[in-house]
Amino acid sequence: MTRSIEREIRVEAAPEVVYEVITSPEHLREWWPDEADLEAEPGATGTLTFGAEPETKVATLTVIEAEPPRRFAFRWAYDGDVATVENSLLVTFDLTPSGDGTVLRFAETGYDEAGKPDEMFEDHSRGWAYFLPRLAPYTERLASRP
Amino acid sequence: MIDDELWSAIGDPTRRRMLDLLLANGGGTATSLSEHLPVTRQAVAKHLGVLDRVGLVHATPAGRERQYTVDEDQLARAISQLATVTEAWDRRLRRIKRIAETIQRDREPNT
Repeated sequence: MTRSIEREIRVEAAPEVVYEVITSPEHLREWWPDEADLEAEPGATGTLTFGAEPETKVATLTVIEAEPPRRFAFRWAYDGDVATVENSLLVTFDLTPSGDGTVLRFAETGYDEAGKPDEMFEDHSRGWAYFLPRLAPYTERLASRP
Repeated sequence: MIDDELWSAIGDPTRRRMLDLLLANGGGTATSLSEHLPVTRQAVAKHLGVLDRVGLVHATPAGRERQYTVDEDQLARAISQLATVTEAWDRRLRRIKRIAETIQRDREPNT
């Protein structure tokens, strides 16, 4: 499947700067969680903390690839266990220099591996891209319900 | 935070196909669904159990079997969660862009 989000944005900053913003805990906590404990080294595990005490939620993170200033990839799980292929989402950032700036490609994928292949179709075209448009009429009907 | 159970319930292609069939036919049983799917009736029944647990389908007795229908409110909720997750990443990416561009400008005061 195909729970997958992909984005591409242009950033008017050098890839080195963008990489730093994506990977350093100091900047991470500005754009994502409330607290980040992370070392950008392959195999390293860290945590992201959301919310204030005592209502905090801790997500775990495992760094998969860290190649400054080109690629950063990690898995993250929000059930508190160590993020592995079975329980987590894979996030990748690819940085490509473009003039004075950077093209940043982002993807979050997962749950594919968490499924049970023997029970699954060998049909990957039936992902969200196929499914959502077919459901649109149903949701519109729900939305227009009095 | 998204609802993990709801996500993984809807994340499986066989279960999505089942929801599709149930919506198209206005409901169905494990037997009627298995006729349209390359999996056994037992496997279909197991998948229906997963969908039932997260409230995506509801069962009513129909003879020896159970008739399942889709809970369209819950399905709409699952779909809106997908949109929420996507929007959250869009916000994060906008923040990454803003932070990086601010740092870059600070490092090059002449440009």
